[in-house]
Amino acid sequence: MKRASLSVLGGVVGILFFLPLLWVVTNSLRPGSETFANLNPLSWQTFLELRPTLTNYSALLNSAIGRATLNSIVVSAATVVIGLAICATAAFGLAAFQFRGRGLVFGIVVLSFLVPFDAIAIPLSTMFRDWHLTNTFAGLVLPGIGNGMAIFLLRQFFLGIPAELVEAARLDGLGWFGVFRWIYLPLSKPALIGAGLMLFLFQWQAYVWPLLIGTDAKHILGPVALSNLQGQNFTDYGLVFAGAVVLTVIPLVVIAGFQRYFVQSVSSTGLK
Amino acid sequence: MKQRQGLIALAFLAPALVCLAVLRIVPAISAVVESFYTESLLRGGRVFAGLGNYTDLLSNKDFRQSIGVTLLFTVLVNPIQVAVSFLLAVLFTQRAAGAKLWRTLVILPIATPPAVSAVIWSVIYRPDGLANGVLERLGLPAQPFLTSPSQVLPSLIVLLSWIGVGYWMLFLIAGIQEVPEEVREAALLDGAGPWRRMVSVVLPLVRRPLAFVLVADTVSNLLVFAPVQILTKGGPNGNSNLLMYDVYSRAYAIGDIHVAQAEVVILVALTLAIVAGQFRLLRGDQ
Repeated sequence: MKRASLSVLGGVVGILFFLPLLWVVTNSLRPGSETFANLNPLSWQTFLELRPTLTNYSALLNSAIGRATLNSIVVSAATVVIGLAICATAAFGLAAFQFRGRGLVFGIVVLSFLVPFDAIAIPLSTMFRDWHLTNTFAGLVLPGIGNGMAIFLLRQFFLGIPAELVEAARLDGLGWFGVFRWIYLPLSKPALIGAGLMLFLFQWQAYVWPLLIGTDAKHILGPVALSNLQGQNFTDYGLVFAGAVVLTVIPLVVIAGFQRYFVQSVSSTGLK
Repeated sequence: MKQRQGLIALAFLAPALVCLAVLRIVPAISAVVESFYTESLLRGGRVFAGLGNYTDLLSNKDFRQSIGVTLLFTVLVNPIQVAVSFLLAVLFTQRAAGAKLWRTLVILPIATPPAVSAVIWSVIYRPDGLANGVLERLGLPAQPFLTSPSQVLPSLIVLLSWIGVGYWMLFLIAGIQEVPEEVREAALLDGAGPWRRMVSVVLPLVRRPLAFVLVADTVSNLLVFAPVQILTKGGPNGNSNLLMYDVYSRAYAIGDIHVAQAEVVILVALTLAIVAGQFRLLRGDQ
């Protein structure tokens, strides 16, 4: 009896959280002119479409949002690849060597993620303007690649790799880059995936920075393009909702694919 | 040998250190430095202004209102989100049919970028949108939501909680699952009721993740920007003009970059002060 009421309560909460997304998906499958037609009065048709159409999605392909979504994918992918290379080498430098000033360097890494990025986005954007990086992909990618949190996460994982393994490899004549490439990286897949997810989500979810630095048609990112469309007088809400679905489903697929690592990286940042 | 190790380590660290210095630390320092300067047409170029930008801000009515709105928002949103995340974490760690599925539905909005969520909720909150549709179905009168000075902050809090609660809940679920089964069973055998068990057994054992969630949630809520920019532009009458949006409009709409830098410094200082206060409180009652 108690179990049953708990699962009913859980179900009510779950469905309440899900309703807005369901409404968005449903309306992305019907013409924009009908978005508000099913709201008064509310009925099951508000949340279900029996004759779904994909016209909004095909219209999306040739719209500004389609292009912007592609830009988001390019920028996020570049951030993950470059960012992982930079963060993993740095974490290796911090974990594998004993040297003077290591504490100081580690302190800088921690300090850098204690200053929230959005707070310094405006001063940084005036610097980028001076360096002619506005409306360039480099300008959009750069702030994402040096991620103190990702370095921290990778370092924690690297510290667990036994020193004997490294010594043996060194005696066999492996260089330090070889140790990094052939011992540390292959052993650290979960941490690398966790850090990669972190870099990806930072970039995919960004709004302040792309709004400040990349707003021309060639460089605009998905969320900025979507909010521009919403601000217009005659908005096609079918298109807006289809764009919202695409911008949500892409990270959802990535998170779901790496679910195990996502929860791991989330819980390890929380508990340490 | 040690010195050689240091050089090799530095080679591995160099790209990241350059990035962190140039993209995180230099702009933070530059905000502080620039906040003491001002643009002078008379003398051509930038001149030292001392605390001029700060006194300008403090005597500015809109800025003072923005501080007030931000503090009110902070006091409301953080306890609500932490409490709801905790209750949901407790609910979804009970053994009950479908718990995994319901939990997933709560987590789902994490995937939606905040700006996209704001766009979705801008349609929900329209006078003819989903929210009023639901109210009318329940026989309640339609509400103005974003255009009402008293409803605008609660409306933003609902939207931000829809985005955030599932995320914070993940940390607390991880924490609760670390609580040994024996401890919970022992409490059960001692005849502790469900409420008692939650408050006296689970709550003290998840202190660390709870403290982390409170601090991290507070920081992220002090930086809320997209929903304000997309839904309300700080209105009506400045009632949702949170500091982060005020900084942005001061820098770009008003175009006073030096005063905006001073405001960034105040925002970061306020964040640090609140977080430091929370740390003291959390340590104080341990």
